[in-house]
Amino acid sequence: MKKRTVAAVVGAVLGAAVVATPAHAQDVKLGLMAAISGPIAALAPPMAAASRLAVTHVNEQGGILKGGKLEAVLGDSACNPQNATDVATKAVNIDRVIAVVGPACSGAVLASANSVTIPAGVLMITPSGTSPEITKLKDKDLVYRTLPSDDYQGRALARTLKARGISKVAVAYLNNDYGKGLAESFKAEFEANGGTLAGYSGHEEGKASYRSELATLARGGADTLVIFDYGDGTGLSILRQSLENNFFKTFVGADGMKSEGLVKAIGAANLGGFFVSAPVGEASASLDNFNKAFKAAGENIDAVFATTSYDAAFLAALAIEKAGGDKAKLAESLRAVASAPGEPILAGEWAKAKKLIAEGKDIDYKGAGGDHEFDAAGDVPGNYAFFKVSGTGYESIADMK
Amino acid sequence: MDLLGLANYAVFMAILIGIYALLALGLNIQWGFTGLFNAGIAGFFAIGAYASAILTSLPASGRLGGYELPLVVGWLASMVAAAAIAWPIGKICLRFRSDYLAIATIGIAEIIRLVIRTEGWLTGGVRGVTGIPRPFGDLDYMPSQVAYLAIVATLVLIAYLLVERQVKAPWGRMMRAIRDNELAAAAMGKQVEARRLQAFVFGSALMGLAGALFVHFNRSVTPEAIDPMIATFLIWIMLILGGSGNNRGAILGAAVIWIIWSVSELLTDRLPTEVAVQAKYARVFIIGLTLQLVLRFRPEGILPERQAGSPPHR
Repeated sequence: MKKRTVAAVVGAVLGAAVVATPAHAQDVKLGLMAAISGPIAALAPPMAAASRLAVTHVNEQGGILKGGKLEAVLGDSACNPQNATDVATKAVNIDRVIAVVGPACSGAVLASANSVTIPAGVLMITPSGTSPEITKLKDKDLVYRTLPSDDYQGRALARTLKARGISKVAVAYLNNDYGKGLAESFKAEFEANGGTLAGYSGHEEGKASYRSELATLARGGADTLVIFDYGDGTGLSILRQSLENNFFKTFVGADGMKSEGLVKAIGAANLGGFFVSAPVGEASASLDNFNKAFKAAGENIDAVFATTSYDAAFLAALAIEKAGGDKAKLAESLRAVASAPGEPILAGEWAKAKKLIAEGKDIDYKGAGGDHEFDAAGDVPGNYAFFKVSGTGYESIADMK
Repeated sequence: MDLLGLANYAVFMAILIGIYALLALGLNIQWGFTGLFNAGIAGFFAIGAYASAILTSLPASGRLGGYELPLVVGWLASMVAAAAIAWPIGKICLRFRSDYLAIATIGIAEIIRLVIRTEGWLTGGVRGVTGIPRPFGDLDYMPSQVAYLAIVATLVLIAYLLVERQVKAPWGRMMRAIRDNELAAAAMGKQVEARRLQAFVFGSALMGLAGALFVHFNRSVTPEAIDPMIATFLIWIMLILGGSGNNRGAILGAAVIWIIWSVSELLTDRLPTEVAVQAKYARVFIIGLTLQLVLRFRPEGILPERQAGSPPHR
């Protein structure tokens, strides 16, 4: 009796789910696999909003294919493989998406690409998965990302420091895929170029004091501390406690440390020896387009991964348009619309792109977060600059090679 | 919406239900029959996952592994490793009364998670292990999923039959005696501590096997998979809802909770986009509410423990 009740409830739930909205012939669905719940929940809403903005641009400027609408299906990948594979399976099989943007976390990308999207032949573009492991996926050319692997930035930063005459540093990294990924590639490149690491240690986030870790690092005798952490989180504590105790003279951070909150909290006057590396968009006109539209939508333009989320969705739409909605041609089309040569397309210029594609002309999308010239593994090289603190913000002082 | 897609989704759900059913069966041995409150399921899940991953994956620089051993070896090793780690833990912690054991196991799961995250030479650290083989992984999407489901279903069936047989045997009655009245059981000459340790080790081995099945399905494992929400508490809810002390209940609970967890998202997707982000939290709420309702109206679970002879008294 009870069993039957349960079966009936489950059946009803399934049944209700099956009564999905009917799709029109030319409508195309795009899966957005944001990490809405879970450890990076705070980052997810602006990322989803940025991807949706791209979808809005497509639909406002003539729609996709022959008068169809691009529809975004939002799923919660929760930053873990269990939920990510589940949400990818639903997107691919129930909503019949032909491309997905996301998931946000690298582990979720690896699992859902391996078990769902690659076997199903669905294009995946992640806006925030930075693990070097994603490069190694056997992906049938179906997995891409719109931000560089952690490898690029760590290596570029190591070369820049060497070029600036710094050859002995201590490294403190946050023990997650971001911090550790950067630290490992930095270490490899720095040591290969003859640099010395006087200290190298990871730390867990959210502790009240890091003085003992910092004291150990300082004992190595380096003047420079390289911090791979977030400037709005633990990185701020590390920097503050190093300054208070005079452990180091110079501090270098990666993009996560480039926070204006940090400058406000510590004060520019105390940050003369603080430098950060951060990605810079070459096509700044594209970034302006995006910022204007994103601000008009009532969102914060400084949100992390917002530009890459927009670009991922916009690129997916361009690839679908170029491929004429044919799933099998998506990867090839994505490479065609993203790579030079071709007429440059900036963020938000859907109508122009659609017209050029219809005329059979080659286009090259210059995104808000970078040019997105994919290499053979579907990765993008980074454009990084070296910044110093200036006023309440940051000022670029050199390009990084 | 077409039938093939629906079938694919159903097969995927069935695979995950199978994996969760193994976890729930493992917990049922520990809690349902022996009364051990293990709140560190995620830890044993992780040990099994990494043990099999390290033994069967392709070689990679910077971490242990790349032995490319056959799958069966990896799966056996996952059970042995989980059991081997459960043994000393049980030896020390099982002397505690149930609530202290719960606190100790939460701590142990956290230690295991941190070791996996930090000891890069062993586990690949936060980058995890990739290049793990998947049986029949070279087939097309649908056949490969069906083949994997067959493997998972077979293992769940074997585990179910073995556990069921063991529980019906005198061993099972002894375990229940220990659970319900430890002093009386000890007075009858039963070795309470040794028996509890047995249950703890057997249950953990099943959890380890579930971990191995999960990583081979995804061909990768990262520390993100060891999230207590999804790898400990969800399984507790499955067992409580299905009926602790009843193996069929454990499997049914896994199915019901995973279906609610997964399908509720399809329902919240029908809500307007303005609340789409907030709506994602609805399923966490639904699961919590389900547990509350079950505890209030049917504390013994959907399929209660079968009591021979005497009326249910718990």
